[in-house]
This record gives sequence, C-alpha cells and structure tokens, in this order.
Amino acid sequence: MKYFFGLVSIILCYELWGAPAVLAQTAAAGPLLINISSSKTLSGTAGDYVTVLAGITNSSAGPVSNITTYLSLADESTKLPVDLEDWSAEKGLFIGNIDARQTLPLNWKIHFVTPGDYALIVVAEAAGQELPQTSAITHFHVNSKRNLNPGQVLPVALGMPIVILFAMTLLTYRRNSKLV
Amino acid sequence: MYKLIWLKELKGELYTWKSTAWLLAASLLFSFTSYLLLTNKELTLLDQTELLWLLGKVIVGVGLLVVTIDASSIISSEFEQETAESLFLTPLALKDFLLGKLLAPLTLWILIYLISVPYIIVASAGSRLALPFMGHVFLLGTLCVLGFILMTFAIALLYRSSKNTLTTAFVILLAAAVPALFAATLKSGSVLTTVSKINPLDNVFSALDNVLVDYQISLGQNWQFYPPLIIFGLVMLGLLSAAARRFRQQGIIRNE
Amino acid sequence: MMISVKNVSKAYEANVAVDCLNFEVPTGEFFGFLGPNGAGKTTTIRMLTGMIAPDSGEIAIDGWSHSDKSKIARLLGVMPESRGFYNWMTGEEYLSFFAKLYDIPEKYAKVSQLLSLVGLTERKHNRVATYSRGMKQRLGLARALINDPQVLFLDEPTLGLDPQGQEDIQHLLKRLNAAGVTIFFSSHLLNEVASLCTRIAIINRGRLVAQGTIGELQIQAKLPASSLKDIFLALTNPANV
Repeated sequence: MKYFFGLVSIILCYELWGAPAVLAQTAAAGPLLINISSSKTLSGTAGDYVTVLAGITNSSAGPVSNITTYLSLADESTKLPVDLEDWSAEKGLFIGNIDARQTLPLNWKIHFVTPGDYALIVVAEAAGQELPQTSAITHFHVNSKRNLNPGQVLPVALGMPIVILFAMTLLTYRRNSKLV
Repeated sequence: MYKLIWLKELKGELYTWKSTAWLLAASLLFSFTSYLLLTNKELTLLDQTELLWLLGKVIVGVGLLVVTIDASSIISSEFEQETAESLFLTPLALKDFLLGKLLAPLTLWILIYLISVPYIIVASAGSRLALPFMGHVFLLGTLCVLGFILMTFAIALLYRSSKNTLTTAFVILLAAAVPALFAATLKSGSVLTTVSKINPLDNVFSALDNVLVDYQISLGQNWQFYPPLIIFGLVMLGLLSAAARRFRQQGIIRNE
Repeated sequence: MMISVKNVSKAYEANVAVDCLNFEVPTGEFFGFLGPNGAGKTTTIRMLTGMIAPDSGEIAIDGWSHSDKSKIARLLGVMPESRGFYNWMTGEEYLSFFAKLYDIPEKYAKVSQLLSLVGLTERKHNRVATYSRGMKQRLGLARALINDPQVLFLDEPTLGLDPQGQEDIQHLLKRLNAAGVTIFFSSHLLNEVASLCTRIAIINRGRLVAQGTIGELQIQAKLPASSLKDIFLALTNPANV
C-alpha cells in the first residue's frame, strides 16, 4: 500500500497537484515525514528572495541513511514543472543519516523570478527505499513587481532624445536663417 | 572677460553640433538604460534601490566621459587651430581664459544632469528617493566633474595637443573607474581599501550606494564621501596652477 | 620712441633664434623688418608682442615693458604669422568677439566701420569657413585694427592676396601710417617693403645686419643705386656672412 501512495506522489509532482489534503496524508506513508513549515510566508513579489523552511523526520524505529532531498516546483497556470535554474542555487540537499525519531531542519533560499501561482513539493529519497517520500503540496503566489512603473518610462525614454533632436534642429535652423 | 570665453565656447559647441551631439548621445544612453532597467525581465528583478544606484552610476559615468572628451580639446584646439595667438594678443588674462574654458564643460555637465532628471523621476517612482537621488547626483557629480576638468586642463596646458590630452585623461579616468566598479567584497586588501577611500569615483559610487541602497539620504549621513572629492578638486587646482606657471614660462606660442 | 629693443636674445635649447638684437622704431614710422626664412623675424615679433619672453635684454613699447601685458595689449594691433580663425563664426561675429575682449565702446559701429574698411561688408553674415584666403587676410587685418592700435605689427600681411588685394591693403596701411600709427612690417615682398617703409632693418641668423633708409642700406651694403632685393641678397647671402 505504501508503494502505491509513493507512486501517486511522484505522478502528482509532475502533473497538476490539486488535492493537497489528500497528499498530506500520503506523505506520511513512508519512514520519512517531510513537513514544509513556511507555507504561510512563501508568497511574495517577483525579485524577492525567500527561504523555504521544512523539516524531515524519521518516523521509523531504525536509522535511515543516505538521504537526499529535492525541491520540485510546478507552474499551476501552464501546468508544467519549473526549471529551478534561475530560482535556486541549491536544488538538492544531501542529508546523510537520520536517527530513529530524529527531525532535521531543511531550508532552501529561492528567488522569485516570474509572477504566477506555483505548487511546491519537497522530495526525499533514501538508501534502501524504492520509492521517494514527498511532502504535502504547498501553494504560493508570486506577485508582479509593482514598485516600478514601467509605463512611465517609455514617454521619457522616447521623448527626451526627440526633444533634444528638435532643439538641435531648431537651433541650427535659426542659426542658418541668420547666415546669408 | 571669462564670460566672453565661456559664451564663445558654448556658441561654438552648439553651432557646430559638437556638444549637442553629446547631449543627444547621453539622452539615448539614459533612455536605453532606464528602459532596460524598468522593462527587462531579469533587470526588473533588481531591487529598485539597486536599480537607482545603477542609473546613478550611469549618469555620473556618462557625464564624466563626455566632459573629459570635451575638456580635452577645448584648450588644445586653440593651439592646434592657431587661434591662441590672436586671443592672447588681447588683454585677456590666462586665468580668465581658463575660467571661461572651465565653465563650458561644466555647463555641459549641468545640461547632462538636467537631461537625466526625468529619468531619475521615472525610475524613482514610488520610492521617495527622487529628491535625494537628484541632489546627491548633482553635488557628487559636479565635484567629481570639476576635479576631472581641472586635471584635463592641466594636461592640455602641458601637452597643447588634443590627442595626447585625451589619451592621458582617458587612461586616468579608466584607472579611477575600474577599481570603483569592483564589488565592495573585493576591496578587502589594505591597498584597495586605501585606493577606494581616495578615489573620487569610488567615493561617488559609495555615496550613491549609501543614499539609494541604505537610505542614508541626508548630507550629514554622507559627509565622509565629500572631503575626498573636495581634496581631489583642490589637488587638481594645484596641478593646473603649476601647469599654468610652466605655460607662462614657455610662452603662449611654444617654438616646436 | 614707440619700440625699443636692447640686447634681446632668445634661444630654443641649442638653437639661437635671436642674438643680441638692438634697434629702435620712432613713433609714426613705417618700419620694415626683413630677413630670410629662419632668420628670427617671427621670434622677434612674438617677443615684441609679448607672446614669448626673451632670454635676455629689454623690450619696451611706448615706454612700457613688454612684460606689462595688459598695458601693451591695448597699444598693439597684431596680424601674426599664425592665421587661425573661429571658422564657425561669421565675419561680423568674429570682429564683435574681439571688440568685446578689448571692451570697446560702440563696438557695433566699430565692427561695421572695419568691415567696410577691409571690404567685407557684403560677406559679414557669412561663416569665416567660407572665406577665401585673401578675405581671411583682410579679416585678420580688421581684427588687428579693432582696438585703434598705436603700433601695428604685420607679419606677411599681403601673403596670398591677388594684386588688387595687395594694392588695397597697401593703400590702407599708408592711410593708417599717415594718421600716426606706427607700423612694424615684415614681408618677403621686397618691392612692397621698399615702396611702403621709411626705414628697414635686415636680420640674418638672429643678428641685425643692417638698418636704415634704403639709401643708408645701399651704403652699408656697398651697393650704391641698387634695389632692395640686391641689398637684401648681398647682406644675407651665406657666402657673404
């Protein structure tokens, strides 16, 4: 049964994740429990740097070794996974071992690049585990950058050279009209 | 009498499109920079303060570049075009000549600054940094430009050749600009730290950083950046005085 | 005495341009100053007009030391060897600019009068860049006259002019001299010098070799009844020096 839930999680990582409540339950099926704790504070504006805080807990009675965790992000409007190249310098974190019942913190610094709605998931794979473990899906929204008003720049960017060119032409015309 | 020289230079530069072409080039450069900064997908992700800082550096940089080119030829051309002799045969004193000549590139800088004001306002929209930005760019830029004009004039009096003056002034300008563009973290060594403290361009860029990125907007919060610029100007004034003394000793017309 | 030159020397490193020069030019004289190329004429004129300082000796213009630039600048009118102009200006603007440098009252009337005097009224609104060489010569002469000088230094003033242009300038110079202006005239056109100048000095290799009227020069050169050209050639011929 746990393999079935793991498979569902993986499929949902790369498809549209529409039922976080269900997924939150599925994430608890393996020995590792992953919890994204910064879900309430993730939203921001394009250009912001935010930290994704998470925790990974070994819920089993024995240690789990060679654990690697990954961030996975999907754009909810295009329904495509996002290339994290521009978003984060550290897509994967190697944890190593987690003792029984131990919880370790995880954090990723990510840069909001493009405005939109996103779904974030943390995936963990460990030695001896055939299926990865996943966190629940965290939804967040990246706002457009609003502190600049690009609409005002065009009249200035085009207008100033035109004004100067006009002044130059006028000056030359007036000068030439005085000359015989 | 310096006013006559100043007006002659201004008219000459305007009527021959010499300066107006520079003003047009400066405005095109500001347009290009500000448009990219505000609309380019990656550049818009910069903090607005970082963006303003970049724009401030471009304004001062373009101003310095244009003024240095202008100042390189404004004195030497009188010798190259053989107009110096008839000019100095009049009661015109050398100090009036130099002051009138100095005001011309300084006016060019003021015009470049005025052209930059609409760009500053647009880029600063919503940040409340427009006025401090304008004020500090004007003060810092004027002090820095003044120092470089005095330096270029001193070189021009020594060489009496536009080409040599331009080359030398450019090398010095580049030598000042390159370390100023290094990131602060790269200036950790004692040599680079010292260079950074005395380099006029470094002080201008650091002051703009302080104003625009760190919101230290008052003059009092930036006082430490102004003395190096004033000292630079005074040193260049001394250099110009020495060059003028040598120029007088050699005679207005130097036998080649 | 309008011009007084005593023991004046000037050297450029090892080259002696002027060597212990002595002469005087009385007020109102039309003084010719001759010499072959490289004899030191232009250096002498530049020392007299304050453009370069002599290494030694004394120069006085109307009693004022040549180093007193502000005083002598108002006494002198100079048409120098270097003939640069602000080509973007019109002829009228050019003269007005110099009139302002001399702080001349009623400068517009003065500029109009001078443009008329040198025959450039028709072209006063044209850029100097469009002037012919002869027109530039005449504009240069007008500039030299802008401050009503007491002494006029002319270095090859008719160079490049057509015969009519030369005639016009010579006529103008005679009128100025008749009005009391002292003229220091340097030219390679020996006929012109002979017809205009009352006294002539000849220098060669920086040294004064002769000075006086044509008659006195004939005696000094031991060439009675000969032309100025013959005298000049005899006194400056390297074989005779």
